Amino acid sequence: MKRLIQLCYRKIIDASSEKAWDKYVFDDTWMEFFMQAQTYTQDGKYHTFQEISDKIPAAGNMTYMVSTAAINYIRQLNDIVPDIANVYGKLCLPFKRFKFEIIHSDIRDKSAHKVAIYFYSEPITWIDKLDGKLLVAYGDQREAFKSGQEVETELIPLQPYLNISSVISGIPAEFREIDYPLPTSENNPS
Amino acid sequence: MERKEFLKRGFLSALGTSFILPMVSACSSDTVDPESTTETTTGTTTGTTTGSCTTTASETAGPFPTKTPSSLVMTDITSDRSGTKLTVKITIQNKNNSCAALANAIVDIWHCDAGGNYSEYGGTGMQSTDFTSVHFLRGRQTTDANGLVTFTSIYPGWYSGRAPHIHVHIYNISGTSLLVTQIAFDQTINNTVYAQGVYKSHGLQDTTNSSDNVFGDGVGTELASFTGSVADGYNLAHTIVVNG
Repeated sequence: MKRLIQLCYRKIIDASSEKAWDKYVFDDTWMEFFMQAQTYTQDGKYHTFQEISDKIPAAGNMTYMVSTAAINYIRQLNDIVPDIANVYGKLCLPFKRFKFEIIHSDIRDKSAHKVAIYFYSEPITWIDKLDGKLLVAYGDQREAFKSGQEVETELIPLQPYLNISSVISGIPAEFREIDYPLPTSENNPS
Repeated sequence: MERKEFLKRGFLSALGTSFILPMVSACSSDTVDPESTTETTTGTTTGTTTGSCTTTASETAGPFPTKTPSSLVMTDITSDRSGTKLTVKITIQNKNNSCAALANAIVDIWHCDAGGNYSEYGGTGMQSTDFTSVHFLRGRQTTDANGLVTFTSIYPGWYSGRAPHIHVHIYNISGTSLLVTQIAFDQTINNTVYAQGVYKSHGLQDTTNSSDNVFGDGVGTELASFTGSVADGYNLAHTIVVNG
């Protein structure tokens, strides 16, 4: 049975990140954290994201405020998930939605800054798994498969931090396979 | 289906809202460090690897990332809010330099809308690449050679227990905080603005500057000067002195 799935890639960015895009996000989200955190750290009591989040309820919007430094970089991706390539080595996965996360940050130490961006793929039809790779088609192609149409597919290797984050395994009733009895004598013992 | 068409259609329409809720929690589990989960086997004579590591994909270098400012950097911070137009001109002076204009200072401002509401933040939730009005009435500018920043906004509303105000946070060019303060408004103009337009249904503010717990000790350095009218909009001018 073909399933509709959503892939989620969690991209981690820290001081060891080397790509230009990653470095921009690292530098700018660190600066934004440093700026925003000072609202809550002026008495020198707290220094880390964890301390500020745990102790100061008003800092609840900190993650969102820091994400404002990343969103214009995320828009530069043109809605294609970074790093996740098909077997041709081409980026392939469309996304519209993302979630920003501060893993760790400390106003005293930029090198400890670490963030993650979850990229949620648009819906994909999962056809099969071949040698550690997902055979998929973009969009909801369940109806097209049922009606025997040719569907363009893609092989995407499974890899660290790439998760199948949700599945719809049911098929709307109107597309469900009907098990017609074969018109042979075997089906008609009389 | 063409991929383009699929991209346009979006996830919500394809899967329905009921599908979204469990998905959010599914992808929000706690942090796992890459070091502890990525197994890399090395040292085999054939050079093959096992475990969960993956050959790095070859890929063209583009699209080329470019240095880009925070989405907070905006001159017009009105977004989708309606109200009487307000131009905000803030000049930053440096007390440590004979009150000369402070250039290249970063100035963040934020205030509530006509109904007394601040921007709804995404918190730790999901955001969309095409969602643009998430932080209405909040913006950032950098001072020019005259120490001036200019924002286009609407006249702030008010919420219970506080006199009308604009929050200001000033940083130096390195992002170090210089001052967190608030700008106070003229009572007479408040009474005029809040009696009309989108402000009218909310009525007059319940807290004056003198009874406000922030401004109550005097607004000598916090009260802005105003020109303009309801018809033409107002111009707010204010000078803030920091230890730059």
